[in-house]
Amino acid sequence: MPALPLDELQLTEKDPKTGKLRTLPALHPEIKADRSFVLYRPPPVVRDPALVEEFLERAKFIADDLDWLLALPHDKFWCQVIFDETLQKCLDSYLSHAPRKFDVLLDCHPEVNDMQKRLHRSVFLTFLRMSTHKESKDHFITPSVFGEIIYNNFLFDIPKILDLCVLFGKGNGPLLQKMIENIFTQQPSYFGDLDETLPTVLQVFNNILHKCGLQCEGASAEPQKLEERVNVTPGNMPLQELKDIVLYLCDTCTTLWAFLDVFPLACQTFQKHEFCYRLASFYELAIPELESAIKKRHYEDNSVFADLWRRISHSRKKVMEAFHILINQVCLQPILESSCENIQPFIEEFLQIFTSVLQERRFLRDYDELFPIEDDVSLLQQASSTLDETRTAYILQAVESAWEGVDRKKAQVTKDPT
Amino acid sequence: MALPRLTGALRSFSNVTKHDDYNEELADLTTKRLKLHEQLLKSDLTWKKIIKFVDDNLDKKEYQTVNGDLKTILQAAKQIVGAENGQEAIESGAVFLFKTFHKKECVGHDETKAIKQMFGPFPSSSATAACNATCRIASHFTEEQLTALIQMAEEQNGDNRVLFGKNIVFSFDMHDLDHSEEMPVNGEADAQRIISLDY
Repeated sequence: MPALPLDELQLTEKDPKTGKLRTLPALHPEIKADRSFVLYRPPPVVRDPALVEEFLERAKFIADDLDWLLALPHDKFWCQVIFDETLQKCLDSYLSHAPRKFDVLLDCHPEVNDMQKRLHRSVFLTFLRMSTHKESKDHFITPSVFGEIIYNNFLFDIPKILDLCVLFGKGNGPLLQKMIENIFTQQPSYFGDLDETLPTVLQVFNNILHKCGLQCEGASAEPQKLEERVNVTPGNMPLQELKDIVLYLCDTCTTLWAFLDVFPLACQTFQKHEFCYRLASFYELAIPELESAIKKRHYEDNSVFADLWRRISHSRKKVMEAFHILINQVCLQPILESSCENIQPFIEEFLQIFTSVLQERRFLRDYDELFPIEDDVSLLQQASSTLDETRTAYILQAVESAWEGVDRKKAQVTKDPT
Repeated sequence: MALPRLTGALRSFSNVTKHDDYNEELADLTTKRLKLHEQLLKSDLTWKKIIKFVDDNLDKKEYQTVNGDLKTILQAAKQIVGAENGQEAIESGAVFLFKTFHKKECVGHDETKAIKQMFGPFPSSSATAACNATCRIASHFTEEQLTALIQMAEEQNGDNRVLFGKNIVFSFDMHDLDHSEEMPVNGEADAQRIISLDY
């Protein structure tokens, strides 16, 4: 007899109160064990023995509890995951606070490092199991019900998915890609949530600009009172504030890129918010200002300058790479994959995106250096015989113009003389 | 202080997450320790079963020697757990000490941590006494006999005890800062500084 999905299974067991036999759905809160997961706290910044001990105690509780959870049979695992709020909070606290490798380097005790590694693996395996609706031929959940369960119980949400990508995307990319694709496939409402989240992402860009004393989109809608006007710029703000802004920028750019890298199918949703244009315009305003401030400032410790510069360079690269993934996914891939009749909307999208960013000269130059725009235009020319050459020439001319008067040389493309 | 993160902002300001109140979790460690005590009390292995195991497997002369050691463990448990917690808690503490030390010759770092995690700060002399006494008791039995006794305390999760994902190859590699070849050193920054001011 074929096995029933977990969501249709019924269990018969003795009622602990009355002693009589009773039938319960396999997914029922009473089956959840009383475990009390604790919250994750990141490793201590300094090697204070008391703080190290506190971290280790807390982390061991979590690691032991996750080992216990992962050893549970399929039905009990899902009851725990759905009905144990302490477990959900514990997992969320790990994703929120687990150190990223690009954070400020910590000098951790070896025991702390070992424990952190143990936790890191267990958390990943827990999310892997939570994103798998079919564990074996006998242990599975109806796909649509699985989609409802993970969504309605917030087992996954957009911030969690972004955290998963930045924490696990490098070493476990292919597996993570399958997990996230499955989550979005079984529950398309996550696309809606992503759509709802993007204005907040754009607001984060605006907040960074605001902290830098730079005008941002929408800021002019409300007149500013004269007495409120403050001339805080990255050049004159306290060093700690500048460091925080650069850390925030670095985290924001890396997280967005890590997500798009793992799940490029999200690009369409991003572009619904004119994300390419917003990204380029943010880059144009924020990066030169921050670079200039980092270079001009006097440092007592030169390693602070090196660290800030490295972070701003990294952030720049991640913006470029994110933009490239978007262009690739929204325009270039469909052009390469579609037949000639269907490519016109994608060509139009490409031309519109680049036309919209032409005034962002610094962005255009930096992007062109990493991903030559000429190559993409050439692809368009090969794909379509009816390409509007005036528009492409206008774009290429603007790119050339962006390079004018710049000491830094554009990388020369070696052309085959044949 | 928490580092500024994009996902932190999304958790706070978007409508797509469950907005949990984490204030109640301030005392979560205390709650967890209480929970572990409860689990210890519910353990299938009881102090009475340990005494019966000793009684069943040793002759009368040996039992009299071992009986003194059993009392030592119980006394140590009383000091570690606290007499005010009652006989049941003391006996479950004695079981915990027996389980912790049955394969050890001395009180090591791990054992100290395990006891401290379960009961909080404790007198080290009591742990040493319990360890020595357990060691002497264990010397009367084979490893198989002791393993069978201890397994009574193992939690029963049904027949499936395989850890999910144990065969999955996991990588600890994480996204790091890119090494930019363009990174200027201090002295070379001037040329670009002019460019930056154009914007």
